[in-house]
Amino acid sequence: MNPLVRWFHQLGSPPYFDRFAARWTPWCYLAAVALMGAGLWQALFVVPADYQQGDSFRILYIHVPSAWMSMFVFGLMAFYAAIALVWRIKLCEILAMACAPIGAAFTVITLATGSIWGKPMWGTWWDWDPRLTTELILLFMYLGVMGLYGAIDDRRNAARAAGLLSIVGVALLPVIRYSVVWWNSLHQGQTIRVFGQSSMDDSMMLPLVLMVAATKFWFAGSLLARARADNLRREAGKDWVLRLAAPAERAP
Amino acid sequence: MSYFGYVAGAYAVFAAVLAWDFLSPRLQVRRELRAARLRAARETRRSAAPAELER
Repeated sequence: MNPLVRWFHQLGSPPYFDRFAARWTPWCYLAAVALMGAGLWQALFVVPADYQQGDSFRILYIHVPSAWMSMFVFGLMAFYAAIALVWRIKLCEILAMACAPIGAAFTVITLATGSIWGKPMWGTWWDWDPRLTTELILLFMYLGVMGLYGAIDDRRNAARAAGLLSIVGVALLPVIRYSVVWWNSLHQGQTIRVFGQSSMDDSMMLPLVLMVAATKFWFAGSLLARARADNLRREAGKDWVLRLAAPAERAP
Repeated sequence: MSYFGYVAGAYAVFAAVLAWDFLSPRLQVRRELRAARLRAARETRRSAAPAELER
């Protein structure tokens, strides 16, 4: 068997996944903290102030990566949920449900930092602007997925129901993305482009790239940690969990 | 105009939410392992109980 395929099948085993998650979680967090340290240093102390917004633009370095993560995580959650629904892979159910609180956390950061940034720039903490409103709906979608998963006792049925909600919710992502194009919006249009010329100066780009990479690693670490916790909860009572819980007592 | 308060506030929110995101799964893992330990202890006591009753 192809080693990659074999590894994928092994990862579906709860004890193997637990060992994998326990091993790689600290490394993901470590990479995230290192990148975040460098990115925040650049963002706060190296990059020059914006000619219009002054130092307030430095909020961009946490607001934009968090906003991207809020949408990326939702898309990934729906992807895992679709795999779990079609092929009934338990690990994908666990990963999909582990995505929800992380995505919700990034959405809260996006909304809060956007609101704080909006006060000095727009003169208001909040406006029912299309971009802000759709991002708020995204937070409600995350909370809905988490609530549904927590409301049903049977873990597998709960994951399927919440997964279905996340798949339906994917329709919201293009609406958030293009809300500043489709409607008149107080929120600024697209300034940073992955493909093509950004309207942001090159001297301001490095911390953004570092923070985008840092949030990806943070997400990976958090996903593994949360999935490990859910995996342990589902497997409670199994021998391998008991051995893990009391290694000193059961060691020969 | 100084934007220090706004920038500091935004970064504080960022740090606080990530701190919650870091601690929350750790506490869950600890809770699950503790529950497993307690369950194992209960089962050990239960299996030992009939022998005590015989005496």
